[in-house]
Amino acid sequence: MKNSQRLALFFLLPSFFFVALFSIFPIVESLRLSFYRMILTLPWLGQRMVGWENYRDLLTDPVALASIRTTLIFIAVTIPLELLVGLGIALVLNEMFRGRGLLRAVVLIPWAVPTVVASQMWRFIFNDRYGLVNFMLFGADTSRYWAPLAHPHFALAAIMVAEIWKTTPFAALIILAGLQSIPDDLYEAASVDGATPWQKFRHLTLPLLKPALLLALLFRTIDALRVFDLVFVMTQGGPADATNVLQFYGYKKTFAEGMIGYGSAIAVTVFFMSLVLALAYLRAFKITRLQGQTP
Amino acid sequence: MSIVKIFQCCAAFVLGTHGAVAQAQNTELRFVTWRSEAPEVWNQGIADFERQNPGVKVVSEIGPQSSTQLHDLLTQKLKNRDTRLDVFVMDVIWPAEFASAGWALPLDGYFTAAEREKFLKAPISANQYRGRIFGVPLFIDAGLLYYRKDLLEKHKVSPPRTWPELVDAAKAVLAGEHDPQLVGFSAQFKQYEGLVCNMMEYILSNGGTLWDETRMVSALDRPASIAAVRFVRDRVIGEISHRGVLAYEEPESLALFTEGRAIFHRNWPYAWALANDGEKSKIAGKVGMTPLPGFGPGTGVATLGGWQLGLSRYSSKPDLAWRFAAFMTGKEMQKRIALATGRAPTRRALYDDPQIKKRIPQVQSLLATFKQAVPRPTTPVYVPLSNIMQRYFSAVLALPDTDIDGRAALAARDMNRVLDLLRDRQAP
Amino acid sequence: MKRSVALLFYSIGIALYCLVPFLWFVLTSLKSSAELTAIPPELIPSFHWGFYQSALQNYGLLHYVANSAIVAAATALITVAIGSLAAYAIARFQLTWTNFYLLLLLVVSMFPQIAIAGPIWTILDRLQWLNTYQGLVAAYIALSLPLAIWILATFFREVPREIEEAALIDGCSRLQALYKVVLPLAAPGILTAGLLVFIHAWNEFFFALIIMTDPTVQTLPVGIALFPGEYTMPWGEIAAASTIATLPLVVLTLIFQRGIVRGLSAGAVKG
Repeated sequence: MKNSQRLALFFLLPSFFFVALFSIFPIVESLRLSFYRMILTLPWLGQRMVGWENYRDLLTDPVALASIRTTLIFIAVTIPLELLVGLGIALVLNEMFRGRGLLRAVVLIPWAVPTVVASQMWRFIFNDRYGLVNFMLFGADTSRYWAPLAHPHFALAAIMVAEIWKTTPFAALIILAGLQSIPDDLYEAASVDGATPWQKFRHLTLPLLKPALLLALLFRTIDALRVFDLVFVMTQGGPADATNVLQFYGYKKTFAEGMIGYGSAIAVTVFFMSLVLALAYLRAFKITRLQGQTP
Repeated sequence: MSIVKIFQCCAAFVLGTHGAVAQAQNTELRFVTWRSEAPEVWNQGIADFERQNPGVKVVSEIGPQSSTQLHDLLTQKLKNRDTRLDVFVMDVIWPAEFASAGWALPLDGYFTAAEREKFLKAPISANQYRGRIFGVPLFIDAGLLYYRKDLLEKHKVSPPRTWPELVDAAKAVLAGEHDPQLVGFSAQFKQYEGLVCNMMEYILSNGGTLWDETRMVSALDRPASIAAVRFVRDRVIGEISHRGVLAYEEPESLALFTEGRAIFHRNWPYAWALANDGEKSKIAGKVGMTPLPGFGPGTGVATLGGWQLGLSRYSSKPDLAWRFAAFMTGKEMQKRIALATGRAPTRRALYDDPQIKKRIPQVQSLLATFKQAVPRPTTPVYVPLSNIMQRYFSAVLALPDTDIDGRAALAARDMNRVLDLLRDRQAP
Repeated sequence: MKRSVALLFYSIGIALYCLVPFLWFVLTSLKSSAELTAIPPELIPSFHWGFYQSALQNYGLLHYVANSAIVAAATALITVAIGSLAAYAIARFQLTWTNFYLLLLLVVSMFPQIAIAGPIWTILDRLQWLNTYQGLVAAYIALSLPLAIWILATFFREVPREIEEAALIDGCSRLQALYKVVLPLAAPGILTAGLLVFIHAWNEFFFALIIMTDPTVQTLPVGIALFPGEYTMPWGEIAAASTIATLPLVVLTLIFQRGIVRGLSAGAVKG
């Protein structure tokens, strides 16, 4: 057994090298900075160790609290929709038909477009004078055109739409890979037993898809908590801070205002939220997974 | 020719040029900038500088055009004391911040008082922090009012000199035109830096101010400041504009105007050329330009904008860097840039130059505006203050039934908390 | 009959959902300057190639594409290679600490990139790897490994042990078993992981912006982000650039598709 331990170590070492240098060290550094007060533009204040002060400020900062709320609303709406649409797309792509290859390529387009470009594209689409959305809603009646990005609620909805569009291919691809690993004979056996397509889906496909769904859910949530490019390009956090997600607020504090300590505390908070959610998912899925494995 | 011979020729060539390069003793000067609108002029200038200074090679690093993004890039380099950065461009709101952080080199030794006299006063003061100077102005911007000459003439309305007059004028034209797609006013009210530029013009012309510089406290909760904000919400956006402007930065607001859908438009001087461009604008030739109105006669205030050149404190060749900065902001380069791009120069003498007067016909009236342009608060903590102000303005404008007084009080309180950070260091 | 009609209906729906926003942008790139900001917007452009010319000539689009291709390809190849090793160990040697490693990767990938961008910049600066391909690729590898390893481990777990054990009995080392047996069977997972890493590296913006400031090595997202002027927004050129930027990926996907299908059928034959 010792041999396999050494072998496992050998296999893991290359990846660990990269992760340690470019992920773990920066994270530790960030964690460390979150306990300091450090404002780049006011160097005479020095870099004082202030313990939990940054975190206490965060919990009493109305802007930070509002942005936590905005972020949670954001993921609560986008993730289920992404998974649903992704599942639908994956189910269609799993079928054998002519032109499936072409459809698969088309499905990847939203994912392939660089995020900064997609952000500009959606900003253009939501434009209140020559945007596609207005044109589709009101046609040539330009007096009724309206500006989604100027209304706090609609602006958040617009960001959500752009996010869902951009990331559904990712969910679809993961779920599709999961679908394709389900052996066909299982379906055949079910057909022989007289199962309807819906029953096959509910009792065969869904349970066997759980690992893929968990994967998609996990990575999508982590990414959604860190949404940044869309907000940066489309709304800059406005109007009236309606789209000021936590990651964007952290960016403004760290890079724009030079408040490194506070910005790091915000980053750690985002991290902490991801951790809690990930653990919640794993706990929920672990239980059902064990159940699914009993013969 | 045999393979060996070819190889020998190549080797000789490569080694030869390498040797020649090694002998030239090239000094590299690194310059972080955005891409100029007239790259030929810019690059020609750099080439001329290199010719005048043999052995020097200027390496330009082109950063993002967006002021915010360029700021992030420079911050990253400077906070890490990158020695491979010598000269950089600065937006007008950065010098105090960069000076305080110890990133910008004080230029008092190089940039003498006599030399400074040759520049316009407003940009020079924007480059000063605690009595020392940290940047050389390159070109200057200030807020201006554009309007549809033809529409105003048609409805016998004269260009407004106060904001209330502007609202009435717009209403008159709107009533006369019966065009549902026409709006009275287009400007930049998105939650970003431009919002502060716009709002400052209303607040200051109403006798209010953003902060009390001597006592280092916010002045957003003063009655004059609040009244100005209320005016924008209720009368400008409420009556003569439309909610879309709450999502506009400069490009969108200008597009509305050049499409012929706006009567009045507030923007920087660059808009003049674009509005009169026959290819890109539907209103070419029908545009008028005038200083911004105020709340009483002659009280109009324009926000100061523009860009300067700064030197990095971590540069290993400050003398050479200064020579470059002085060259690029010299009379010849400023004139070339002005002629090529229409950007207003910062050297007084150029405003009497006949070629510039031909290129920018209204340059004399621009000079009057520039002389009175007001900079945003010159403090190292300007960015946090701006973010607080943007939040406050956007909340009031985007949510019509907000309690302005309450929001103003909150914003003032947040601003004061930031300003308190500066209190420890009152003595130089 | 009913099935193929339903499929056609769904396919068209999916295609529209994915294509329309992007197609709108593509059509925009083919408009003339005046048509660009027409109100109301014009649907059919006049097929004017001006923006493409401008994007290629004035904005140097092609070399951004080349840089992105180099960086993304290198990232994908190295990440999948290293990640396969790790994923194999995790899937096969089910030890507590290999599972812990997987969790560590997941946890590490949760940290906001904005916060770690600064320290990463400092590290690359010390290594003198700023403005080099290897610097950006190294950072991207670290960012992509968690996702890649998770996907690969999930797929490796699905490969039946018996086939592998047979190979081991036949005298293969673990590494050879990985090579000859597991990888071919897990080919769809590997291609999926590789494709996702490639696209992620292609699209990444923030790190590329601060690490690659020399125009000769800048990647596409950064290049396009530099298009806008201080107060102008060249929608036409941006639209043209996006079209050109997305085409290689579409082509790549079409190629990869056959690989995925082939891998599956090969697996079926072997099984």
